[in-house]
Amino acid sequence: MAGPVADIREISGSDLISALHLAQQAPAILGQESGSGFTSNSSETADYYARLEQLLLACLRTGDDQSAHTCLNRLSLRFGPSNERIMGLRGLYEEATAKDQSALEKCLQEYDNTLSQNPVNVPILKRRVALLRSLNRPSDAISGLIQLLDAIPTDAEAWCELADLYQSQGLGPQAIFSLEEALLIAPNSWNIHSRLGELLYICASDGDASRLLGRSVQHFSRSIELCDDYLRGFYGLTLASTRMLDNDYAGVSGQLPKKTLERLKAFALVKLGEIVESPSIDDQHWASSRSELIAAKELLNRQ
Amino acid sequence: MAIQGAEQTILRDPALFYWILFPISIVMILTGILRHYATVLMNTPPKSPSTLAESRERLALLRGVNLRNNACSVLDRESFEMRKNYMVTGFRNGAFLKDPNNRGQPPANPMTDPAGMEAMMGMLKGNMMMMIPQTLIMSWINAFFSGFVILKLPFPLTIRFKSMLQSGVMTRDLDVQWVSSLSWYFLNLMGLQSVFGFILGSDNAANQMAQQMGMANPAAMVNPLQPGQDPDKLYLNEAENLEVMEHFCILDGVEERILQNFAPTGI
Repeated sequence: MAGPVADIREISGSDLISALHLAQQAPAILGQESGSGFTSNSSETADYYARLEQLLLACLRTGDDQSAHTCLNRLSLRFGPSNERIMGLRGLYEEATAKDQSALEKCLQEYDNTLSQNPVNVPILKRRVALLRSLNRPSDAISGLIQLLDAIPTDAEAWCELADLYQSQGLGPQAIFSLEEALLIAPNSWNIHSRLGELLYICASDGDASRLLGRSVQHFSRSIELCDDYLRGFYGLTLASTRMLDNDYAGVSGQLPKKTLERLKAFALVKLGEIVESPSIDDQHWASSRSELIAAKELLNRQ
Repeated sequence: MAIQGAEQTILRDPALFYWILFPISIVMILTGILRHYATVLMNTPPKSPSTLAESRERLALLRGVNLRNNACSVLDRESFEMRKNYMVTGFRNGAFLKDPNNRGQPPANPMTDPAGMEAMMGMLKGNMMMMIPQTLIMSWINAFFSGFVILKLPFPLTIRFKSMLQSGVMTRDLDVQWVSSLSWYFLNLMGLQSVFGFILGSDNAANQMAQQMGMANPAAMVNPLQPGQDPDKLYLNEAENLEVMEHFCILDGVEERILQNFAPTGI
């Protein structure tokens, strides 16, 4: 029992390798739990269903549709097929196992039907947006998401998705606005801070670049302040401060003096070096962010 | 008055322990457990909004509160002013209301409003769950065990505790250490929380499953509006709160701050 639990805790990240590891344990977890699931006390079963849900996602990602189906059936046996979250998971399963374009279109039809019965079915609303996006209809996805956010403006996840969609359409300022909204809901999430920094850095190519770059540096700094060893934050800080120095924005109308920027850059480089060299780098923990590590090493080599 | 220093002795039948003290405690614990499960059984989950406009009416207020609380850690002046103006105008115009045409009319009578009725039923059920067993047990104890002195505390107490420990026994001279059966009931009523915590896990252990499935979207479930409350009034209030806000931003000077706090010396 202890083994699988520990493993699941570790794969909260979205990398494929650990999802694969988890999915390979599916027969063991599904077989062993069938007898004891209901007899243990309530907190354990709550855990058990959370694990089933994760297992379902991992199995779908790795193509083990059989186990995924078993998971889904167990979940809907417990919570009933009309539970909103179960409906969302079922939709996800249908989408993942859809053979061709027309099957996906049918899923979309299904979602619209469900929504006409209950317009505030949030998991289905979100699935619909995701499906529209994967059908390559980003403008429909954006309008669907705006509709969702108009009704539920306190959903940080949806704001982040909207920012991502806007960015994919090249609408920088709108994406920045959406991420700011997400940050207003979760003001201490360092990953969103650094994401906003990245967006500002990308958008800084046109318009008032110096102001946007300055804000980008601020948000990267804030993400570092919130999480002191945050690789992405340091990476972004290095890039943003380098660009500010290169373009001579230092000292322009309310910007940081050149000396501070240079110190920031040096500090970020030192920290990047420390993180890349640190002995814990080969841990399981870093498996999900290997690409980030490689990028950081490459940046260090270039300097 | 009790004579100072002299130990009062009362000859108690040891059967008092088995036939009064013990049954009262057991019954109290059992009713507590029963009540817990009955509450879980009768608990109706909070009603989720049925239309998008209703959901917006509920959550717009939270959005205003979020802006007020968190703006200082995210927004620079320009975007803050923009959002503030938007929210204040929206609150003032009633743009976030479920049906803006009904604005200014007195709120529907909660007795006739089905949603309000449901919420009131919920409250009523909760209260009943507390009231009925207590009345029953108390009258049971009063009928069978009133006037018994069943317990002597091993430590002395001041005279103030007399009314707490000896209700139902009208003896002025009795030492405060003696506890009457009715008082034992009250002590159990107040003091068994930790026992229940031990037996039932934590207080909401049985509710956990429902909460977990609701967690798919906790944001959509919250309802800041009490039944019968006029959202328009809350909005106007919030608009006022937003208007008086002074902008400041903790991002100002964050670069120096991290250099000072995290950077090694010599950079």
